Amino acid sequence: MQHLDPDRLVLLALSEQQQELSESDHLAQCAGCRYDLDSLREVADIGTEIEEVRDLPAPPESVWRAIEAGITTPVAPVTPLAGRRGRPQRERRRWLAPVLSAAAAAIVAVAGTVVAFGVLDRPPAETVTAQATLAPLPKVPVGAGGTAEVTSSGKIRIDARNLPLTPGFHEVWLIDPGDLTKMLSLGNLPAGASVELPVPPGTDLNRYRLVDISDEPHDGDATHSGQSLLRGTLTS
Amino acid sequence: MSSDDELAERWRDGDEKALRTAYDRHGAAVLYLAQRLLGNRADAEDVTQVTFVAAWTSRDMFDPRRGTMLGWLLGIARRKAVDRLRSAARDDRATETVRAHLAPPDEPQTPDRIVDRLVVADELGRLPDEQRRTLELAFFDDLTHPQIAAVTGLPLGTVKSHIRRGMANLRRRWEVDGAAFGSRSAGPSRAL
Repeated sequence: MQHLDPDRLVLLALSEQQQELSESDHLAQCAGCRYDLDSLREVADIGTEIEEVRDLPAPPESVWRAIEAGITTPVAPVTPLAGRRGRPQRERRRWLAPVLSAAAAAIVAVAGTVVAFGVLDRPPAETVTAQATLAPLPKVPVGAGGTAEVTSSGKIRIDARNLPLTPGFHEVWLIDPGDLTKMLSLGNLPAGASVELPVPPGTDLNRYRLVDISDEPHDGDATHSGQSLLRGTLTS
Repeated sequence: MSSDDELAERWRDGDEKALRTAYDRHGAAVLYLAQRLLGNRADAEDVTQVTFVAAWTSRDMFDPRRGTMLGWLLGIARRKAVDRLRSAARDDRATETVRAHLAPPDEPQTPDRIVDRLVVADELGRLPDEQRRTLELAFFDDLTHPQIAAVTGLPLGTVKSHIRRGMANLRRRWEVDGAAFGSRSAGPSRAL
């Protein structure tokens, strides 16, 4: 039995030439040649489709920063969002250090670090490391909305407005948009609709970055009611 | 290719520069796959991030004898993207409201085919110049062997052997890393 020549198989796979009758007969009987031809045909077909995936653009650098953040053991009590804000902040602190030690040492000694920082800059506790605009979900009045701000001290400040009045209460959540069943409850939002809540230490805000305000009935069920009112994604 | 072996070695040793190298080489392909599967740029970037973090965390599982780094990463990315689609679709009342916010994938493609294209394209880029050039003319310009010989000035016999060898290389790589064979085989990464 004469197998098909490798060059011939390639020509057939590229549909450059037609099978001759003797070749068709052979292919009908020979599983090996048939398999080779099928494989080469498949590769040739794929080959004609790959122009689009050559020289793909590199992902944005923010993805790399998120990867770096993801492989680093969190040192901060709350893992901050990977983003631009982190660096200038650290630089500013480095710049502040000598100023403090040289010029403000006396003030620090007398009045304490917090006051000194207050003189030179906003207190570290006030630095916003991530924020989100909270938008109403469908079925929620369009006038409703708000903002969420995570501060460097590990707190989240929620300001909401025009929330619909309900018989229940409003609860603040951080949800993992990658797996919407994963969430943590931060506490409730009082009627004044403005509150500062601690983010649990160890929370990775790269993961739990979807801020959610829900309407919770007084039913004693601690899980999310499914009635979300506002949502927004934290960005740095 | 020796640089691949070297990368695999540094990767397994936990050298973080190897992660950056792998990302520079394959990040674009991972992002492309995720974007085609999810149809959403933001989710695709997330899946790209999650993929590299998971790959790095489980770097011991990468076995270069069973497939290439690209094939392995695409296998992980694919599962991460599928997980994300599933969790978005999970019938959970808490998720109901979010689903409206996730754009549906614009044009579903078979994931296998996208993986196949990415690994074959990667291999094409690694072929010796003349092999690659002759195959490009055959694939993209649909030229016949004699036409390729005329365009390139190479003897017909040389064109034939370039194409035959090039096709054999692409086929081998496809059989190692392609969706039907590899992509899941470069280590027991199912758990990732």
